[in-house]
Amino acid sequence: MDLADLIAGAYRRLAPRRTLLLLVTAALLGASLLGFRTLRMQENIAAMLPDGGSVAEDFQLLQQAPFASKVVITLNGGSQLPQQQLIAATDELAQALDPRLFPQVVSGPREQLQQRMLPWLLAALPNLADEEDLALLRAGLDEAGVRERLQQSYRSLLGPEGWALKGLIRQDPLGLHRLALEKLRHLNLVPGARLADGHFLSPDGKSALLVAETPVPMTDSAGAEQLLAAFEQAIRVLPEGVEASLVSGHRYTAANARAIQADLWLILSCSTLALVLLFLIFLRSLRAVFVFLVPVSVVCLAAVAVGLVYPEVSAVTIGFGAVLLGIAVDFGLHVYFALRRGGAEPAAILGAVAKPVTFGALTTVAAFAVLLFSDLPGQRQLAVFSITGILAALLLALLVLPHLLRVGAAAPEPPRKEGGQRAGRWILALWLLLLAAAGWQATRVTIDGDLRAMSLTPPALAADEAKLQQTWGQVRGRAMVWSLGADLEQALAVNRQIFQRLGSGEAGAELVSLAPLLPPLAEQEANRRRWQGFWAGEEGQRVLAALDREAVALRFSPDAFAPFRQALAQPAAPVTPAGLHEVGLGEVIDSLVTTLDDGRVGVLNLIPETPAALAAAETALAGLDGARLVAQGRFREEVSAAIGHDFTRFIVSAALAVVALLVVLFRHPGRIFAALVPVLSGLLLMLGIMGALGMSFNLFNVIAAILVIGLGVDYGIFMVCRQDEPCERATETAVLVSGLTTLAGFGALVLARHPALHSIGITVLLGIGGAIPAALLVVPALYRGRAQ
Amino acid sequence: MKARIVLFLLLLLWLPAGAPAASPDAVLGRIQQLAAGVETLASDFSQEKYLSVFQDVLPASGRFYYRKPDRLRWEMTAPVSSGFVLNGEQGRRWQQAGSAGERFDIAREPVMKIVAEQLLAWTRADFDRLRKEYRITLEKEDPVQLRLDPQGAAAGFLDHLLIRFAPSGKHVQQVEVHEQGGDYTRIVFHDTVVNGPLAEDLF
Repeated sequence: MDLADLIAGAYRRLAPRRTLLLLVTAALLGASLLGFRTLRMQENIAAMLPDGGSVAEDFQLLQQAPFASKVVITLNGGSQLPQQQLIAATDELAQALDPRLFPQVVSGPREQLQQRMLPWLLAALPNLADEEDLALLRAGLDEAGVRERLQQSYRSLLGPEGWALKGLIRQDPLGLHRLALEKLRHLNLVPGARLADGHFLSPDGKSALLVAETPVPMTDSAGAEQLLAAFEQAIRVLPEGVEASLVSGHRYTAANARAIQADLWLILSCSTLALVLLFLIFLRSLRAVFVFLVPVSVVCLAAVAVGLVYPEVSAVTIGFGAVLLGIAVDFGLHVYFALRRGGAEPAAILGAVAKPVTFGALTTVAAFAVLLFSDLPGQRQLAVFSITGILAALLLALLVLPHLLRVGAAAPEPPRKEGGQRAGRWILALWLLLLAAAGWQATRVTIDGDLRAMSLTPPALAADEAKLQQTWGQVRGRAMVWSLGADLEQALAVNRQIFQRLGSGEAGAELVSLAPLLPPLAEQEANRRRWQGFWAGEEGQRVLAALDREAVALRFSPDAFAPFRQALAQPAAPVTPAGLHEVGLGEVIDSLVTTLDDGRVGVLNLIPETPAALAAAETALAGLDGARLVAQGRFREEVSAAIGHDFTRFIVSAALAVVALLVVLFRHPGRIFAALVPVLSGLLLMLGIMGALGMSFNLFNVIAAILVIGLGVDYGIFMVCRQDEPCERATETAVLVSGLTTLAGFGALVLARHPALHSIGITVLLGIGGAIPAALLVVPALYRGRAQ
Repeated sequence: MKARIVLFLLLLLWLPAGAPAASPDAVLGRIQQLAAGVETLASDFSQEKYLSVFQDVLPASGRFYYRKPDRLRWEMTAPVSSGFVLNGEQGRRWQQAGSAGERFDIAREPVMKIVAEQLLAWTRADFDRLRKEYRITLEKEDPVQLRLDPQGAAAGFLDHLLIRFAPSGKHVQQVEVHEQGGDYTRIVFHDTVVNGPLAEDLF
């Protein structure tokens, strides 16, 4: 039994049970509507990023960057505001921020850090001083060196600073703390900041900085809105003339969510309006409303199917529903026009139209099926969405819709006027010319992997980002070098090696690293032994003897430096992240040490993101296991490469799947080629016009290209099937109206503010816009040529 | 007779206590007002340090300069030559006379920040600022002597300060810095010139 008999038989069997069929269908669609309401929507860009492979890992690591998840607030008082008032305003704002949304707000280094740091560093020095440090000690602590250092301590004690330094000098008469202070040199996370009254101020003193933690995840659009509202509320406490701007991922999330929500309404409204217009122009029958109900029902069903496979549904996927609206109406339209023409038994008409409709649907399904193998969860969701929607629409169009339509309702059609041979030649010549021009321009299309181009960045936010960088330096945009290990000790061991390789290189001066302050425990142990060996050995004893002699000469009391000698005799406790937290370095540690989702521990180093620094780092880190360089610029390159790879892979796979189905359907090279004419024309014109307009290709355009393949082949199949039949215009009308409904859906996407939706809309508009005239004009012209 | 003598003595005791005394705030306000008129100061100082880490008292002497609002020079001349200059947030210190010394940013040196705040607060009689970190008690009214008990960061090493103003009330005459553990420093300012001309290159 072939497909035509199957569908015709189904029609005959279901016709007496029409009411039951409609009730079951209504129940199914009602259930899908209820299911749609329970879906959890995800409105950020994450769904459109790979969730496997190195790009995914890089993205995960980029998200762990310091300040990536924090809220950075800059206050600006202008040139007239005195510094003290700016600092007071900063404190007021910090107090006014809702503690539920901003539980921890930092305006500068903790006070305890300043008080505790030096004594703590001195106590930790045996763990931190490496071979190089001991070499410096040997060189600097000869007889004259000891004398000079002790005299310096003596002078400090005589001066006013002696009040604060006496305790430290008793512990450290030889100024060893300078060696320890060097360990902090690589910990400046805010390069453009200076300190005033315990606050981060810009070098010109006009701006102050607040860095806040928040429990609101960056991807939570509702939470982001709350966070921003709380900030707007809090800045009301600021005096006149003081402005505050907030920069964080939440602003991007909120802006994108707002844009997508607004877009969804706009797209759905415009699609509906366009479809109503098409209805009034081409259909003008109340029964045809059922044709349009097919895609409406399919959207909910497809979304529910995605929801069953994935816990969160990307809102971009649902936005794509408007597009699917255009596709799914096609099958119904073909059935509608065929039945309206009448001229035979309904079951027979249905059987005749079933083959092109089913193959049209299957080619589109095959094209979308390749997206199931995408690295991007959003693309996989789109595949599930599209496949479910198309198959459901096909079933509704062939099994349910015919029972709602009237057969032979249309007025008899005038005989079709075939164009002459000359017209056919002109059409083919013009077509070839257009394809040649498009092929030439298509080479200009570039691939853009910049994630920012795919998400919405309001101008105000871009300006605030630029201002942030100008005021505070690259706090949010430095390149990262991760040391990754199964546990902290392993990660710290890699981190130490990274520091040794990068510390003396191009990025050495600006390198941010924990390595000098937090070596692996094994290295701390080695350092301690070396330190104790030095002081217990001949060299250390010589230094201590010189210290005693100079102390007597300067009339220090005998027990003046007892704390120093006691510290030398006691073993130092190892330096741990917990210890660094206690001393007041918690924020720094939390910014640079993290446990990744896969359980590994990552320790972060930051370097400037300049070509020279990146190239030097790449060379220095070659062959070092566990070290990973991640930079926004490199990430964009990786995504570009992935898109380029995906594009080729998907287009080739989709094309192969489509050709395979065409072979099964037509089994004739000429007819297969004719069926491919619309899709080839559409793709080439799309790429050509994009190239001519200087547009680039992003990962959403990949989806668009696959859509062009799926739909373009449908038009080809219908038009080739139509050529084998006696002259009738129902197929042409159906292809034209199908194409226009698709354009209506995509036309609405062009109006979207969100770059991803807009990108799909504009590129597919070009592709389908090229495929429709190719199907309606070029395919018949080819046949005429063959007939001649 | 004895009763009269006792009564007379009681009167003597009562009279000073019963004399109308100015409130501490009024005294501090008056000092603050007088100090506000000080544009420059130049003074010699003598210093004695009583520190347990030394076997003897450490005498020292030097010179002190101030220019409103935030310039300050503290220069020790004996027994060693050392000192520092503050100009707003920036500073320079030296360990030998004539050396260029090293520059520093006060924001990055918590110890120098405390020292600078102290010296400037005494010199300007900036009680509003001092009250943020000290409990101020008026110990004597003529000449004015204050006791400052630290409550903030300085409490870690200071026990209390005693500050005595000159009879004119315009500048500090003596400071005693008492540290935790009993060590203390006494600085006496003398030959002080108020609002005299100061060379620009001093700062």
